[in-house]
Amino acid sequence: MEDLILSVSDFVGVFNQTIEYAYPNVVVQGELANFRVSKNKWVYFDLKDEYSSVKFFGTIYQLPGPLEDGMMIQVRGNPRLHNLYGFSITVQTMQPVGEGSIKKAAALLEMKLATEGLFDTGRKRALPYPPSKIGLIASGESAAYHDFIKILNERWSGVEVLHADVQVQGDAAPVQIVKALEYLNTHEDVEVIVVTRGGGSAEDLGAFSTEQVTRAVAGSRTPTIVAIGHEVDISLAELAADQRASTPSNAAQLLVPDKSTEIEKLVAARKYLFDLVQQKFKDQKSNFKEIQKRLRENLESFVQETKHNLELKAQILKAFSPTAALTRGYAIIRNNDKIIKSVKDVKSGDKLGIRVSDGTINAVTE
Amino acid sequence: MKVKKTDYKILNTELDDVLNKLQSEDLDVDEAVVLYERGIAITKELETYLREAENKVAKIKASFS
Repeated sequence: MEDLILSVSDFVGVFNQTIEYAYPNVVVQGELANFRVSKNKWVYFDLKDEYSSVKFFGTIYQLPGPLEDGMMIQVRGNPRLHNLYGFSITVQTMQPVGEGSIKKAAALLEMKLATEGLFDTGRKRALPYPPSKIGLIASGESAAYHDFIKILNERWSGVEVLHADVQVQGDAAPVQIVKALEYLNTHEDVEVIVVTRGGGSAEDLGAFSTEQVTRAVAGSRTPTIVAIGHEVDISLAELAADQRASTPSNAAQLLVPDKSTEIEKLVAARKYLFDLVQQKFKDQKSNFKEIQKRLRENLESFVQETKHNLELKAQILKAFSPTAALTRGYAIIRNNDKIIKSVKDVKSGDKLGIRVSDGTINAVTE
Repeated sequence: MKVKKTDYKILNTELDDVLNKLQSEDLDVDEAVVLYERGIAITKELETYLREAENKVAKIKASFS
């Protein structure tokens, strides 16, 4: 059989066709080496293990965050033979794997985002309490979703929940969470957005520490509460949220008051209202008593004063009384009942009556 | 009156207002009685709302993948 001779370009074409058929995409895991970013857009790196090294090519948009050589990375991509630059795998998605690398990547990203101010406490907004409409980003199948709804129903009434069912782990999770945040932000009546999932390994929770999810949470126009049920590490999305809750149930507790406590408060308010109005009646009653007392006192002093005035006038009257003058030695002299005021009023031989304090003396003029 | 969900906060604020007014001293008994009746009505409306209203959960149909 004669050898098939191909041109270089044909070889590239046939090779790519074959590899695309056999491995439309591959997932390769290895240690990151020679990582570099070109023109702030293109990303070149190698993944290696003890015996081999493979080149990769991608864009900065596929980066999960800042990376460093030496980290364990898992890449999903398409193997391609480039017509000029040789073989490489074109990156579709990539993420750090293994506890150490995930933590290292998260630490690098945390530092970068903290420098930008995404976690500043000054950015935190108050959550509406209680909200009337909640946007909920969670997996509909998850215990987190059911726990949140259960506690919400136990605690409060009349809340509307708009649920965005998303994957909360795996490659698709970050994009879905970001899209759900964008979607819920278009609903102006949604007053708060809850992003939640249950606990898991650092790898399971990776989506909540990706740059895109963290930025989307920080950039949300609607206030956010992020509740990732785990114990040790806090995800970056939680740091960027307006409020962090320790578990999905805790998120519900933070968002709404407890119905039975509120009802107790209402009953107490009714009693208080009753007491207040009773007090008003009592105050009014004692006001009346006070007024009556004052009226009585006024009347008494008026009577006293009048009495005193009368006595005073009586004394004055008494002082001016003619009989009072008679006791002091004065006398009234009458001539035929006419009071004598002058010597001209009498002539010799007139019979006069002289009135003194205790009687009348009859006399005759000479 | 049936309380709508958006009324809860408004009514709660009105209840606080009623209590504050009732605590002020320059209020005659007639005014106090009117406020008292309004306050009692609000607490009953809110209690009924809390006991009877239900939360609604709607799943968004849009796909996020």
